Amino acid sequence: MSLIRTLSSRSPWLYRINAGSCNGCDVELATTACIPRYDVERLGCQYCGSPRHADIVLITGPLTARVKDKVLRLFSEIPDPKVTVAVGICPISGGIFRDSYAVCGPIDQYLPVDVNVPGCPPRPQAILEGVAKAIEIWKSRL
Amino acid sequence: MPESLALLLSVAIFPGGAFALALGLGLKGIDRRVAARLQRRVGPPLLQPFFDLIKLSRKKTMVPDAACRPLFLALPAVGAASMLLAAALVPIANVYLPSPALGNMLVLFYLLVVPGMVLMLAGSASGSPFGAIGFSREMMLMLAYESPIVLVLVAAGLRAGGGDGIVLSLSDIAAYQQAHGAFLLDPAMWPTLLAFAAFLPANLGTVPFDTPEAETEVLEGPLLEYSGAPLGLFKVMSALKAVVVLNLGICLFFPATPDGLLPGLGAHLLKLLPMAAGVTLLRVSMGRMRVDQAFRFFFKWPLALAAAGIAAVALS
Amino acid sequence: MSFLKVLFRNLISGPSTDPFPFGETFTPKALRGRVVYDASKCTSCRTCEQVCIGGAIRFDNTPDGRRFLLWHDTCTFCGLCVFYCPQDALEMTTDWHLSHTQDEKFKMVEHGLMPKAACAACGAEYVAVAPTAKAFAGYEPTPEEVEELRQYCPRCRRKEAAKIAAAHPPAIAADPDTPEQGQS
Repeated sequence: MSLIRTLSSRSPWLYRINAGSCNGCDVELATTACIPRYDVERLGCQYCGSPRHADIVLITGPLTARVKDKVLRLFSEIPDPKVTVAVGICPISGGIFRDSYAVCGPIDQYLPVDVNVPGCPPRPQAILEGVAKAIEIWKSRL
Repeated sequence: MPESLALLLSVAIFPGGAFALALGLGLKGIDRRVAARLQRRVGPPLLQPFFDLIKLSRKKTMVPDAACRPLFLALPAVGAASMLLAAALVPIANVYLPSPALGNMLVLFYLLVVPGMVLMLAGSASGSPFGAIGFSREMMLMLAYESPIVLVLVAAGLRAGGGDGIVLSLSDIAAYQQAHGAFLLDPAMWPTLLAFAAFLPANLGTVPFDTPEAETEVLEGPLLEYSGAPLGLFKVMSALKAVVVLNLGICLFFPATPDGLLPGLGAHLLKLLPMAAGVTLLRVSMGRMRVDQAFRFFFKWPLALAAAGIAAVALS
Repeated sequence: MSFLKVLFRNLISGPSTDPFPFGETFTPKALRGRVVYDASKCTSCRTCEQVCIGGAIRFDNTPDGRRFLLWHDTCTFCGLCVFYCPQDALEMTTDWHLSHTQDEKFKMVEHGLMPKAACAACGAEYVAVAPTAKAFAGYEPTPEEVEELRQYCPRCRRKEAAKIAAAHPPAIAADPDTPEQGQS
């Protein structure tokens, strides 16, 4: 049983949710997949287009009032077991947008966040580190 | 009942079933690895498709409210089962001859249509607008690539018939080539070969013909709403389909293998690798075609080539 | 067909992937990473708090003294605080290993305390922030002389600095044409 768990933990599929991000963190997320230097596929990860296929959710952005409901709905469409990673300081604390009337974050008021990767934006290695931490958590939930 | 037991074994263990599945997932792993290397990446472990499948079996299955639940859950199983059967239909020269009871080329042709049909129905059963777009794209693409493949099969059958009618049994086509030389080296069959080469990536659903399942455009289209085990069955289906289509290509064009079970199997696997590598190279080096471009492409070149192939076979 | 050449070259030259999650990676020297704070240098001028874009820096008074807080989870690594700090009490390191699990979220903090002390001269309680050379107005004190001021409260510091400065008359005689530099 633990073998199956170990084997299945080697296939974490990533899904990005942009909760009103400035796209800085999204670009860094794209580099982890698209730039050969960072190659997140080594960890067995692959970015998938559908929330139904996701295992590790990467959330960027401060959760603006306009996307809040959509993000929450999207999050509920991701099948268990799942792990949430907040990428960048915006989802973690609100960052520079904190206390704005248009921002509902920090995101952990609404969603169970597991790993935080601070940075504005975090460098790709830091994101890889966060994903590696998330895989460890995910393994314990499988 | 040794006959029915042998049939069961050929569908469930070898060359269908477990063997074909392992082969298909292995080829998929090699494909991902080679694609990564072509892009100067390290790439996933070779066994990654197996890990993916194990993981998917442990995920929760979600069914959308808008979906037609029985159809939604049954379709992946139908698709995987059809490919399981199809894998047992293609002969491997000197290694495996399908029992005539399983069926001939026509049955295989029908079975090859099933995955596309299943994807179309799955797209519409999921009740998702992206699934509907995937449905229409899959339908257009199927209309486009099915007509050349019919002509390809007819040309191969005619050639193997040697002037007196058409041969419908794949085993006989393979046997003819072992006696008279492979179709690969037969100039009259070259247009047919080219048409088949164009059909290959379209049927496998890889770039440049992955329009129905384009994740960047329609979020994997028909597969959008699938999760967990049913999605895993779709992965099984596409892995098996890759094996079936590549085996079919080998059987139609260069089936010759050394005698004996193990050398024959080894030679067969060695032939599979360059074909899979070709598909990978095409996938890495090209962008995705729009569905109308793919449609026009198939009605222009592969269809013309396949027709020319039939003419060449008829004249020679 | 030149792309085929590129693909072939890629295949030959091998992957250019950084071994990172499994091995070491590189860190540029100029990378702006975790900010570290040295309470012994801080004069508590609070310029950093003023310029901080993300609102990551906060000063508050506690029973033990004045506390400096920098929450990495809202720091943009812009470096403004480091740029504006007159005392070089803040410094950017190249440490980017900041990812953490949720239970550590509020522990991702850079702390610093300027403790309360009793003034050596008048005995009043004061926050022992770092003394600055500016208190000597015109005279260039040695680091030891600056450090000496730390034990006095702000009011007594001015007196002590004036005493030290008065004990050291300007080494070069002032030009009679220009007004003498003010020395208190």
